Amino acid sequence: MQLAERVLLQHEVEQFLYAEAALLDARRYRDWLGLLADDIHYWMPIRRTVTVGDLDMEFTKPGAMAYFDDDRQLLEMRVKKLEASTAWSENPPSRSRHLVTNVRIAGVEGDEVTVEACFHLYRTRLNSEVDGWVGRRIDVLRRAGDSFRLARRHIFLDQTVILATNMSTLF
Amino acid sequence: MPDGERANGSWSRASLMSLFDRERGVLDRRVLSDESLYRLELERIFARGWNFMCHESQLPNTGDYLVNYIGEDQVIVVRDESGRINVLLNTCRHRGNALCRAEQGRAKSFVCTYHGWNYGLDGRLIGVPGLKTYYRDDLDLERHGLVKAAQVDSHLGFVFATMAADAPPLSDYLGDVGLAGLGMVGAFGEVEVIDGIQKNVIDCNWKIAVDNLFDWYHVTYSHASANSSGFTEIARFLQPNQQMVMLGEYGHAISGPAMPKARQDQIDGLSDEQRVEMAKTLPGNIVRIRPKAAAGLMGAEGVRSLGHPNIFPNLWITLGGLQMCLRLPRGPSSTELWWYTVVPKNASPEFRRQAIRFCNHAFGPAGLFEQDDGENWSQSTRAARGVSSGAIGHHLGMGVGRDRVTVSATGERFIETCINEHAQRWLYRSWTEWMAARDWAELRANHSPAPTAAV
Repeated sequence: MQLAERVLLQHEVEQFLYAEAALLDARRYRDWLGLLADDIHYWMPIRRTVTVGDLDMEFTKPGAMAYFDDDRQLLEMRVKKLEASTAWSENPPSRSRHLVTNVRIAGVEGDEVTVEACFHLYRTRLNSEVDGWVGRRIDVLRRAGDSFRLARRHIFLDQTVILATNMSTLF
Repeated sequence: MPDGERANGSWSRASLMSLFDRERGVLDRRVLSDESLYRLELERIFARGWNFMCHESQLPNTGDYLVNYIGEDQVIVVRDESGRINVLLNTCRHRGNALCRAEQGRAKSFVCTYHGWNYGLDGRLIGVPGLKTYYRDDLDLERHGLVKAAQVDSHLGFVFATMAADAPPLSDYLGDVGLAGLGMVGAFGEVEVIDGIQKNVIDCNWKIAVDNLFDWYHVTYSHASANSSGFTEIARFLQPNQQMVMLGEYGHAISGPAMPKARQDQIDGLSDEQRVEMAKTLPGNIVRIRPKAAAGLMGAEGVRSLGHPNIFPNLWITLGGLQMCLRLPRGPSSTELWWYTVVPKNASPEFRRQAIRFCNHAFGPAGLFEQDDGENWSQSTRAARGVSSGAIGHHLGMGVGRDRVTVSATGERFIETCINEHAQRWLYRSWTEWMAARDWAELRANHSPAPTAAV
């Protein structure tokens, strides 16, 4: 790929991720759903504190337990829940800020771009609760017209025990 | 030392017993926030009772270990060369350093990272740097092994430990209700824990999490959004007028929906194969009908329960035995929740997949049910610990004095009624008895037998 192409792709990818983050932060969850491919896999395995010799078991594997292991149907349920005034963990709603950074294009295959990025999801709710989740995401963005659809999001948190009352926000 | 003059508080037997009014079902809210009561709980409940450690399937090989807790004391749970599972306090006998700082792993021995003391998988001290040169051989290794739990035992592969040498044997401690609770998990045959324990911290008192598991009153309201989002249909499993409660010695209980007796009689006439076929016709992909053998594990009445057992103090069993949740105390206003998913080893790949899918999305911090529990429990702790709010009695009076315990021909005790708070009252009543007893002898002598009449 020529430098000019790479710079353009980098720009497109970053703009997509920033726009997506802005939708979540603006609580425009239904619009966010519109960015997802029908076959999306949205997954956050469980991470564990292990010794250097046991790093092969640091994350749970696909098919085992996870914090998120969602297809489109489950993400739609999460959005319906966020929209319901009876989701007590989000009413009053959390305030979130998704900081997406260190965006690197890891591969391009056909119409799919694999993107690695770091994130800091700052979530505060009520008057005194503050949660911060930092981690790495591996996304697969699939070309759709002049934009992308999110076809895969694998989220690797840096926390092991989740130091929060819940994770009612989307990553 | 006279009773009530302990270093960690000035709670006399009478003052502890008065914290829960069992006749009216009113709890003193200090029970949910007071620091000195919390310290006393660590001593008189967690260090004294049998605590859930793991399921044997989590430690298949020699040297496999995980770290768990007895109260706030860390313990290493490890399988040694002889195949035995040991429970060892995770503190070096030298200067107290933690031997294991990982949550789980594989070890040949446990070497302290401070000065290099080395312990075997059975806790024996097997190496001390400078033993000859610096200690001049003047250190008795035999007497400096890791401190072991006083008793370790298992039922259906579930391993428990207690720090109390005078605690009753595990099967006596569990009694019929505790055994029925674990039987709910083992009813479908030998099980294994799926890899990955979901863990998070909720800013609530641990007992708020425990009393909630008996609470089928909150389900409709607290979890309204799990229903409206399409994740579950609460009306399908709640059965508000078909509830069964079993109360067991030392605070164990089971509470929730139950199979009507007439329907269970029909099921009892079916073979295991017919039951499997029948389950396929029921809504939901993870609904199971217990096989014949289940009655042996849960009792002829207990086998009807579709509710929630709690093994006192802090092990919840749910989803008909597919999940277990440990509620670990982290201070009067903080609790760590650990979620285990447990499936039969012989389950079909499809059942296994469906079970994991449901379990991953029901509970845990991102669970469509539990997100809202965390919010309610933390605010119930916070909003009830002020000077004025803390002085209000906590209301647990639903159905008090309105029901009767039925005693079956085989001696099983159960209450059949509508949604109620019997098990919550039993929890706090038992809690006062545990707290007021200075040792196991006193607890044995003074704890309430399981009720057999009006409740």
